[in-house]
Amino acid sequence: MERFSGCALIVIAILFGFSISNPLYSQNTKIRGFVEAHSVLKDGEVSFGFGEQDLFITSELNDHLSFLGETVFKYDPNSSTEFSVSIERIVIKYNYKGNHSVLVGKHHTPINYWNDTYHHGRVFFPTVERPLLFAANILPLHTTGVSLQGLNLGSLKFGYEVMIGNGLGSNQITDNDKRKSIAIAVNIKPIEHLQIGMSYYNDVISEGAEVHGMVIDEKIKQQLLSGSVAYFGKKYEFLTESTFAFNKAASTGSVPANASYMYGGYKVSEKWIPYLRFDILNFQSDEIYYDNEDRKSFVLGLRFEINYLAVVKLEYQYEDREILGEVDKLTAQIAIGF
Amino acid sequence: MKTNYISILFALIFGIFLPMSLRAQDTDLIIIRNEVSVPSEMDLSQLKSVLRGEKYRWKDGSKVVVALMKTNTPVGTNTCRKLYNMSSNELNKYFLALVFQGKVKAPTFFNSESELASFVAETPGAIGVLQNVYEIPVKTILVDGKKQI
Repeated sequence: MERFSGCALIVIAILFGFSISNPLYSQNTKIRGFVEAHSVLKDGEVSFGFGEQDLFITSELNDHLSFLGETVFKYDPNSSTEFSVSIERIVIKYNYKGNHSVLVGKHHTPINYWNDTYHHGRVFFPTVERPLLFAANILPLHTTGVSLQGLNLGSLKFGYEVMIGNGLGSNQITDNDKRKSIAIAVNIKPIEHLQIGMSYYNDVISEGAEVHGMVIDEKIKQQLLSGSVAYFGKKYEFLTESTFAFNKAASTGSVPANASYMYGGYKVSEKWIPYLRFDILNFQSDEIYYDNEDRKSFVLGLRFEINYLAVVKLEYQYEDREILGEVDKLTAQIAIGF
Repeated sequence: MKTNYISILFALIFGIFLPMSLRAQDTDLIIIRNEVSVPSEMDLSQLKSVLRGEKYRWKDGSKVVVALMKTNTPVGTNTCRKLYNMSSNELNKYFLALVFQGKVKAPTFFNSESELASFVAETPGAIGVLQNVYEIPVKTILVDGKKQI
């Protein structure tokens, strides 16, 4: 009995201590979701489908500590149920001073505007699908690690993020080699609606590592240099990003590759936005890390924003692929947030 | 002849009520604050930056908490237009996108101004936007030296 009372006292003391250190703070947890459904006309056939169902959770644990989780349920032909679940983001954020924070977990790698801004929230996408830069595995979309982040500093609203992570070839819980990936991103917002950003990514991909379902035959030192300009104003929308990749292997030396896209939209009204997007991927013949297929794409579409939680898009895409040849398709999509 | 009278009547009603509704949208706003941590004076650009979620903490380290009227209320709509230069829909989209990026905590939205005023009065670091001042003891912020903007 005495022992029980002692334990109870310790528990009460801990709870009391916690309540003092977190006065009157009620946890604030919110759950949201995003999903899309579409119809595609391709090669004379019409198909219906739906994309990822994205479950998004945020929670304020106290004045400094917060959590963000993003889990995606998606079609997976290799699963017995034809569906799989993937953890896209688990971020624990500690805001230690002013606009400076330290973040731990699985993040969107802080390189490029699109990756940091939209990712799985298709209701935010200005076009139906991601640009080829993201769809063609040019970038490490996610990294598990720790980062330092600062936002909206000074008159230029300077932002930075420095991240150290497990790097390519690692799984969700362990690194596959001793080398860590490093991502450094900076941006400024000199005027309203405009953001200009640059980033650098460095990693070593070990021999035998499996990346994007492909086994890497020899060690590759990868460097990515990216730049972006984004303007989403009252009338005009403009977004361009470019990534220069340098994959260095003993057998090939440093091989450059480039992936870029440019998007432009014009708001006829707040709800109606016709838009264009051009994508280009260029690889060298001795590229050993990426799918070595040059691609060009042209997208013409019309976006109708019913409200901030529901967007309909009708889009034509023409793509010229070095190996597969020319393909085109017409897509209608409704994307919602709930 | 009867049709003409009805048309004139509708025109009169329209003429009377349209300016009234426009006035409701144009009414000046009052910025209220909690006594703890929140400065008593700001310039307009600082205020806009705070309301957009660009500032996490006040000078003493307390967390910035933004309280707004729901965007489908007349005061909320007026706030969106005057302080954010956005429509109600644009404001909702703006904050949803930033929350999704993990960059800000969305403002706390209210249905009534009295609830909003009570919340600001009770929450350290809170700042809110109203059209009417209530009898509850809540402090206001001078913006560019003015009580109303």
